[in-house]
Amino acid sequence: MKRMQTEILVIGGGATGTGVAWDAALRGFRTVLIEKRDLTHGTTGRYHGLLHSGARYVLKDPDSAVECINENRILRRTHTHCIEDTSGFFVVTPEDEDDYPDRFAAACRRLDVPCTEIPAASALRREPLLNPRISRVFELPDAAADSFLATHATAQAARQAGATLLPYHELTRLRLSGGDGNRTLSGATVLDTVSGEELHIDADLVINAAGAWSGHVAALAGVEVKMILGKGVMLATNARLTNTVINRCKMPGDGDILVPIHTVTVIGTTDERVAEPEDLPIEQWEIDLMLTEGDKLVPGLSRSRILRAWAGVRPLYQETQLAGGPAQSENGAQSNECPATELPQDSRDATRALALLDHQQRDGIRGFITITGGKWTTFRLMAESAVDAACEQLGVSRHCRTAGTPVPGVEQGHYWLGHRLSEVEDEKLQSELICECELVTRSMLEGAVQRNPTVTLDDLRRDVRLGMGPCQGGFCTYRAVGILHQLRAGEASPAAGEWNVAHMQSPAHHHRDSAAAEATGTGSESALSPTPTPTDDSHQRSAAVDPQAAVSQPNLLLRDFLQERWKGVAPILWGQQLRQERLDELIYLSILNAGHLPVDYGESPLSSFYRSDSSISGSDR
Amino acid sequence: MRMLDLLVIGAGLTGLFAAYTAARAGLRVRVIAHGAGATHWHAGTIDLLGYVQNSEEAVADWTQALPELPPAHPYSLLGVDTIATALDAFQRLTAAAGLPYVRPGVTMILPVPNAPEEPISQKSDLDNEVDNDNLGRNCQLISPVGAPRPVYLAPAAQQAANLEDDRPLVIVGLEGMPDFYPDLIAENLQRQGHRARSVTVPLSRITKQRDSNPLQVSRLLDQPLAQAQFTEMLVNLSVAGERVGLPAVLGLNAHAALVTQLHEAITNRSQQDTQSSQSKQAGISVFEIPTLPPSVPGLRLDAALRAQLDRLGVRVEIGMEVCAFHATGRRILWIETETGSRPLRHTARNYLLATGGILGGGIYADRCGRVKETVFDLPLTAPQARSHWLRPLFLDKRGHPIFQAGVSVNHHFRPLDQSDAPVYDNLWAAGSILAHTDPVRERSREGIAIATGYAAANGVIKSK
Repeated sequence: MKRMQTEILVIGGGATGTGVAWDAALRGFRTVLIEKRDLTHGTTGRYHGLLHSGARYVLKDPDSAVECINENRILRRTHTHCIEDTSGFFVVTPEDEDDYPDRFAAACRRLDVPCTEIPAASALRREPLLNPRISRVFELPDAAADSFLATHATAQAARQAGATLLPYHELTRLRLSGGDGNRTLSGATVLDTVSGEELHIDADLVINAAGAWSGHVAALAGVEVKMILGKGVMLATNARLTNTVINRCKMPGDGDILVPIHTVTVIGTTDERVAEPEDLPIEQWEIDLMLTEGDKLVPGLSRSRILRAWAGVRPLYQETQLAGGPAQSENGAQSNECPATELPQDSRDATRALALLDHQQRDGIRGFITITGGKWTTFRLMAESAVDAACEQLGVSRHCRTAGTPVPGVEQGHYWLGHRLSEVEDEKLQSELICECELVTRSMLEGAVQRNPTVTLDDLRRDVRLGMGPCQGGFCTYRAVGILHQLRAGEASPAAGEWNVAHMQSPAHHHRDSAAAEATGTGSESALSPTPTPTDDSHQRSAAVDPQAAVSQPNLLLRDFLQERWKGVAPILWGQQLRQERLDELIYLSILNAGHLPVDYGESPLSSFYRSDSSISGSDR
Repeated sequence: MRMLDLLVIGAGLTGLFAAYTAARAGLRVRVIAHGAGATHWHAGTIDLLGYVQNSEEAVADWTQALPELPPAHPYSLLGVDTIATALDAFQRLTAAAGLPYVRPGVTMILPVPNAPEEPISQKSDLDNEVDNDNLGRNCQLISPVGAPRPVYLAPAAQQAANLEDDRPLVIVGLEGMPDFYPDLIAENLQRQGHRARSVTVPLSRITKQRDSNPLQVSRLLDQPLAQAQFTEMLVNLSVAGERVGLPAVLGLNAHAALVTQLHEAITNRSQQDTQSSQSKQAGISVFEIPTLPPSVPGLRLDAALRAQLDRLGVRVEIGMEVCAFHATGRRILWIETETGSRPLRHTARNYLLATGGILGGGIYADRCGRVKETVFDLPLTAPQARSHWLRPLFLDKRGHPIFQAGVSVNHHFRPLDQSDAPVYDNLWAAGSILAHTDPVRERSREGIAIATGYAAANGVIKSK
């Protein structure tokens, strides 16, 4: 059995865990992160993409609102290229209660959330599809964030700082030593789900950042962490309906937010208490509710073409065990002051503020910290709080540096919608277009495969948006499988190596890098194929996830991705999207006959997940 | 102006072949359609019946498999003889058009560069006899991932892909055309026990464009200079005795000439290599593998059908979406199509609905679970609630129930109402709009198009 030794072991490869690894590595800790699937496979990859201004919570959850606005300001500096500066409107529709807007504006002032009321007519000029009957509009610094890219950029920053990230490594056991009163977590046993090998990781301290799965992780240490899991359903339209984030100016509810992100608008969301973070069926009523509510913001939205539906689980937490509530972190992250005794019945009422559980204080287990709750927007702050607590337990004093350290790629400036198109147009003669919907070129795909562990095509989707457009993989699935198969045979085009994870949204960027390198006197040869820094490269790819091995089953990749795409389109198939899906059937069944391909072993680590995760309710099985 | 005998709505394979059948019998026919048919998307082969429910195995002989189909299935309404007669008529049409469709492994024929202008007889094909010897046997051609495709008739350029042929295969890809992956095809063929290798040749000798789709390459290969360079490249890489598989890009208008040229060049080279007068004609040495849409073989088939209709004086008008119709009692009097100014009225004695299923646009299913026939709002056989439309697994062998939604018809291909009576006396329906079949799952798209289009046209002819 393989062994590894580290100072800090982070469990969970979402925004929070990746942020913790980045923070810990920057403070000089030897850091290892494990994630049971791909980075962002959990809630991070299943949210609507909103960078909160905090305004949504000014009345309901002021602690969270303050965290959000502070982090909003910081992330605009540290993760600039992952954010599209859309701005946000809070609009009052005829259905919304009368005194909320004034209380809302007052609360924004009180909490220092910048809020400007603008005339409804000028908001309608900027967003002509908005409901013309809106009476008041407030503008706030909401924005759209690409959580896939942001996490990858954070991960790259963490690797550059020396962290080791191990996706497709599932936690199986936490090792406790010492007797009652002196129990210490000393490490973990993890399973490499691709190779099937076990790995022991000895760690001085374990940080549980498993989000919705945090309760499961804590249970392995014999600790009860009762998560409040709120399922949220989201829908994506086939085009952007607005270019501004739109919120209903009312108490947060179902289907009251539209986020323009990349080429689509996301309508969110519901909040249903669920028991488990996996196997989340999407109910027809949830979709209908989302569309009915969406019509109140953009009339006719329910008749637009819906591309996909998905569900994420909010990892909400409210302390129930200790009278004192969760520990307060040094930098002023607010503790939650909810009465400690009752658990909210509705997950909509649970606080969105972050929760830091120091298990030494709480449960008498040394070397174990859980960081949970919070929003995507506050992931950096959560990481900071967790690593602060880690420093305290380890008895060292090292200050957090993440707020002042931009991740790789920020020099590109804010994302904008035409970004990819303009760069693909610049690149037109350089590479073939693999996904017409999302403008993915062959070199982007090859770069992603070489830079990130690729076990399924879904991993590439998270990297480069493969298959996320109107045809939902109809044309690109086949092409991506063909290209991955060529890569296995070692036929990568030489251009692929020039790719940088942080520039996933920005294929031409390396040219500007090259130009800069040339200007500074580097020889033109090296400028054409800049080699990554040694630290960078040595940690790019985990030893266990060998992309060569992972793509050895192209037929399985094909089938897995067809099913993965299917589970998200099945709940919204009607009208033109149903017709599109019939074309995809014609291609994959009739032209390719993908159902009758030889497959050596029928399962990938994710095959069963794609079959079970979301499905259409009420259909006969 | 003499009134139309038949107005066909829909310009897919169903509509065009029905129009041809009726026009050959002397009827005055016109075709109108909203857009070009789904022919452009498929593989250009005639898939008759590849799979039946509850069986993993491909159908070896469709005549044997017909009894397994439900009684309301279009093939059950037709029977083997009518299907065979229709296919025979279709084969003769394609031969006359210079794009012969053949039975791989049974007949072998090269496309003829200059199509014989065979005189078109006015005689109905129903009277012709069909050769019943080894009728019904499917063959397996090669899919663009190297899986077997169960097919009944193939254009001449696809026949050498027959997997029963034991000659080794070399699959040739084109660098710069991302719709075709020869290594993947060859590997999957090897895994199924076939001798296959793969080669990729650069397109850069023929074009400066770095990212080409199959249609662009096929247009390029209509040009003599490109043809010569392409032939030279292929001849140099083939080994004696091998058949050369290419993406389906071998010319659009100059297709027959290019295939013949390639075949002869490769065969000659082979004979030089073996240095013997091994005159054993082993078969055609070059073949096409279909690609992702747009389908070049589908476009060729569409062009061949239109050319034949043109010779018969049948107009095919695209860009006409039906927006209204009028009926008195059980007769349709006219239909109207959208134009830029005011609706355009079309009057005919008979109407044939060949608008396709959900893919073709003949059927529309909305969010509330309503499934509608888009022209005449005919009663449909369809699953009731949206929750019953789909199954949890994309590749479920049973298919998704919504894709079986369609118009129920009687033996004459007249749409029926709930009491099984024809809805209109002068309306017929054929092709993918029919209920009780899922042509994509069954791999029966073209078979149903040809056979039901033929039968419906003959219904019109007889009703005259």
